[in-house]
Amino acid sequence: MTLFGCAREKEVAELLKLGQWPHACPAELRAHAGACRVCGELVLVSGAFQKARVEAGSQARLEAPGPLWWRAQLRRRNAAIERIRKPVLGAEIFALTVTLLVAAGFLVSQAGKDHGWLAWFEDLPKALHFEALWSTAPASFDSNLWLVFPVLAILALLSGVVVYFASEKQ
Amino acid sequence: MSWESVIPNVLAGDAKAVACPPMESEEFAGFYERSARALWAYLARVSTDPALADDLMQESYVRFLGARRLEEGEVAARRYLFRIATNLLRGHWRRPRQASIEEIPEEFFEAPDESSQADSRAVLGPAMMLMRPRDRQLLWLAYAEGHSHREISEITGLASASIRLLLFRARHKIARLLREQDLNDRRQP
Repeated sequence: MTLFGCAREKEVAELLKLGQWPHACPAELRAHAGACRVCGELVLVSGAFQKARVEAGSQARLEAPGPLWWRAQLRRRNAAIERIRKPVLGAEIFALTVTLLVAAGFLVSQAGKDHGWLAWFEDLPKALHFEALWSTAPASFDSNLWLVFPVLAILALLSGVVVYFASEKQ
Repeated sequence: MSWESVIPNVLAGDAKAVACPPMESEEFAGFYERSARALWAYLARVSTDPALADDLMQESYVRFLGARRLEEGEVAARRYLFRIATNLLRGHWRRPRQASIEEIPEEFFEAPDESSQADSRAVLGPAMMLMRPRDRQLLWLAYAEGHSHREISEITGLASASIRLLLFRARHKIARLLREQDLNDRRQP
């Protein structure tokens, strides 16, 4: 017997694995296992575990494999969709960041200059021929920006609806 | 590469997997039939909790199906399945226990069915309860499943060299506990 085993341990283990222990093994080896602490432990523990394995296996309440299969398919599908969504989300964040940076840069560049470019907002109602509706508007409200904000809000709302339907369709 | 070209490809690949489930499903059903009892026995005996074993077994198979097919052979697939189960068990032990009494299933409070479980529990159960979880894993894989040290190393992630020593100590301890239990049983009328 060595520190962590016995020279005949492998022999005993092989017979245990083949199910030939104790009836189909040499009597001399059986006598050795009775006297050797290591081999005796191996026989005792292997027997207890093999018995427990058979009994535990018979107690198992197994679910049908079908639901497990479909659950795994569903999880794979969700993972695939998640893989697609990640770069799309990244692109959206990137586009938004670039837009905000450009807008901020534009505002900063125009901050020191005269605000002639704001004339575009003033010309917008004329371009869209809103004069026909103008007569009912309050005369004291000299700026035309009151019209720009609702238009932008409607555009934002429509964009949101389009994005929503696009993501639903996907 | 445009989004229009990427998205249909991914979805088409996925749809292909869904479109041909019968063959793979049948293959899985066969594998499940051959491996489920052994896996449940491993999880139930190592965790000492049959309800947990039910949950972990289902999760093991779902993860197995998501990660690997049976092309690499049944032995490798089975080893991989046990590896997933071992990792799930480890994750369960690491998680802090926060179960409230409402979360405990009704069956837990019912009287145990002594006729069906008495034999194996009486032999191995009490001794296993006194072992550390890692030792229970090693012992089950070695002596119930018959895995070699190298295979146990693949399943548990432990170094192959240390398994021999760990297993030797664990076996020595459980053998002592089994003998003590046997002596106590003999003393009792």
